[in-house]
Amino acid sequence: MNIATVEPWVEAPLRRYVDDARARLALLLHTSGQVVAQAGFTRAIDVMTACALASAVHATSAELGRQVDGRPFRGLHHAGPQRQLYLAPAETARGAYICLTVFDDESSLGLVRMYFDELCKELMVAAPPLAPLREPALAVDFERDLNANLAAMFGRN
Amino acid sequence: MSLVNYATREITCKIVYYGPGRSGKTTNLHYIYGQVPEDRKGKMVSLATQTDRTLFFDFLPLDLGMISGFTTKFQLYTVPGQVYYQTTRKLVLQGADGVVFVADSQARQLEENIESFRDLHANLAEQGIEARTVPLVIQYNKQDLPPDLILSAHELSDALNFRGVPEFAADALHGPGVFETLRSISEVVLKRLSAGATAGSR
Amino acid sequence: MSSPFTALLESLSRQRGVRASLIVSENDGLVVDANLRFGQDGDRVAALAASMYRKARMSASAARLGAVGFLQLDAERGRICAVGGRGDLVIVVVAEPAANVGLIRVELLKALDSLT
Repeated sequence: MNIATVEPWVEAPLRRYVDDARARLALLLHTSGQVVAQAGFTRAIDVMTACALASAVHATSAELGRQVDGRPFRGLHHAGPQRQLYLAPAETARGAYICLTVFDDESSLGLVRMYFDELCKELMVAAPPLAPLREPALAVDFERDLNANLAAMFGRN
Repeated sequence: MSLVNYATREITCKIVYYGPGRSGKTTNLHYIYGQVPEDRKGKMVSLATQTDRTLFFDFLPLDLGMISGFTTKFQLYTVPGQVYYQTTRKLVLQGADGVVFVADSQARQLEENIESFRDLHANLAEQGIEARTVPLVIQYNKQDLPPDLILSAHELSDALNFRGVPEFAADALHGPGVFETLRSISEVVLKRLSAGATAGSR
Repeated sequence: MSSPFTALLESLSRQRGVRASLIVSENDGLVVDANLRFGQDGDRVAALAASMYRKARMSASAARLGAVGFLQLDAERGRICAVGGRGDLVIVVVAEPAANVGLIRVELLKALDSLT
């Protein structure tokens, strides 16, 4: 399955997870909705939409948990006629991530949950410590590029 | 929290449009969506009520192109303005790299604008963020309405812009001021990133 | 907390050499109820046994062999036995190598009948 990662250390654990759990799609993201890795998506833009929605669902269910049970709810499962999704957080040394897994009748909720627990353990082990403050990301000429791109996008200067 | 991927040289920034109910946050996104070339935008997602009020958020991903060798993407969100959606506003605000405050220029909405601006600061503080450190641009929307109904950009600036952040008069329905606002927040967010003000790998 | 399946599972677990008995949802792979000995991971066994039973049922169907009557997996240090076919439920037993499989089979089929 096609896997793309923003943080390379998640690739091996995610690939194992997707293979073992027979997931159709998987998305690992920051709680703010920024993608970390994706498996099975075909258009980058769909990934971003899925991230925004997944982080929203996670945030609301966690908040609902805090309000009714004093602490956040964790896993969330939705079942459709063909496909199901499982959404749950994974804690790592680099902070909390959310994993969205889409599966069909090739798998089951039990299998997905079981392998998700393993994914969490693997991520915990694989996570490198947070990098210290890096060099500025952008070169001094970034303003020229920024202006050119803003002009290209908005059709004006 | 800008996401900077040094391996694939990508930057992703989250920008949140904040403001009181019906001030024109969603209209800003609709206008941007309608004007930006197809290859630079993704699907616009709106989680709205039956009456088209934003229930949770609107979301629009934009591809800004290459900047200093980095593919730069923006994720634009709106929050629901109505007072009772306080919890969802906090959730959407999480991890924002920049905020556009959309004020409603109608004179009778001044109190709502001030209240919403306070609410923004309170929500940032609750997340442990010093509001002054967050890139902010203010837009005075609905400046196209008859002058007797609205406050001028100058009057609104006196009431809201005590930080002296970039500010724009706008008519989000028809476009004036919309791109200027987006352009400005993009610039502030990326300049802040360029200055190395955020942690590099996140 | 007891469930409608408590007595059934206790009866299976009383058989000599039985380490665990579970009622599992075949489609979800989740435990409906279980009688486990200390140290057994019921969720894990349920997920994998349900998947195994499902594959066996589909294999039998693909080969036009009809319904699966009884499934037995012999491993180095024990056995897994399963029966299903009553709705979504599968009854799973984990047993030691020395356990009497014939007896377990009879008890499992009896248990299956009592489910309906």
